[in-house]
Amino acid sequence: MAEEAIFEFLHSEIVNYTLNKENGKENDLSTLEYIGYTTGYRIIERLTREWPRFKDELDTMKFICTDFWSSIYRKQIDNLRTNHQGVYVLQDNAFRFLTRLSAGSQYLEHAPKFVAYTCGLVRGSLANLGITSTVTAEVQTMPSCKFHIQVNRT
Amino acid sequence: MTICNLYIFDKYGTLLYYGEWNRLKHSGITKDEEAKLMYGMLFSIKSFVSKISPMDPKAGFLHYKTNKYALNYLELPSGVKFVLNTDNTSTGIREFLQTIYSKLWVEYVVRNPLWTMGTPVTSDLFEAKLNEFVKQSPLYGSKII
Repeated sequence: MAEEAIFEFLHSEIVNYTLNKENGKENDLSTLEYIGYTTGYRIIERLTREWPRFKDELDTMKFICTDFWSSIYRKQIDNLRTNHQGVYVLQDNAFRFLTRLSAGSQYLEHAPKFVAYTCGLVRGSLANLGITSTVTAEVQTMPSCKFHIQVNRT
Repeated sequence: MTICNLYIFDKYGTLLYYGEWNRLKHSGITKDEEAKLMYGMLFSIKSFVSKISPMDPKAGFLHYKTNKYALNYLELPSGVKFVLNTDNTSTGIREFLQTIYSKLWVEYVVRNPLWTMGTPVTSDLFEAKLNEFVKQSPLYGSKII
């Protein structure tokens, strides 16, 4: 419980700090996303040190949904969907940073602040596994959250 | 056995939350005025109890009873105060308040990043969880007399 609380409190302070009203960055989620990106990029080295190479993209996504998610959020992704053309939707029905906020639509306007870091985290991890992507999140009713991953093919 | 109402104060005397269930008589003054009166009284009782105590008081003031109701008081080391009014036959209220503190207050208020310290609680989730917890408790009987 202690380590989880520290991660949560630190995360919410990072959110407050980066979205500081005084320097006019109230709606600028890019810093937060970038912090997530670098964290994800680094953490993947540590998490995958015992793993063989992943077979394909889907295999990598499965790793993100299971091992990666449980080592960070203590639970797995509840639903993974894909159109097999580079779009993946990861659904977490009780997303850690939202579970204590609300169980409905109260505070919905604040939700983007609490998912931006995780978007970066996923993007960073995929980047270090060789997948360039764009990650966005969608919150309709808290505490459930959908992460859309669009793989960029060049 | 029944639960009347609950006040939560911080260490500066701000009313953080007020919940009401089976309250049959209202004070006729505003909630803020009532909270100030309540806090003032508790503050006085606390200092009275610690001054008058013939021995080291340890936990200090715990509860008082009238012939109709009992006021139960729980103060945490951080200065957060829980005040629960019940009828005077209820038992196990201390544990009940401890649980409210650790399972609901800490979980849904302290760990909610959108709550600013020292301000009244506006979270619907906390309110819903508290109502659910109170209503499923054996202390919450049917309406009395």
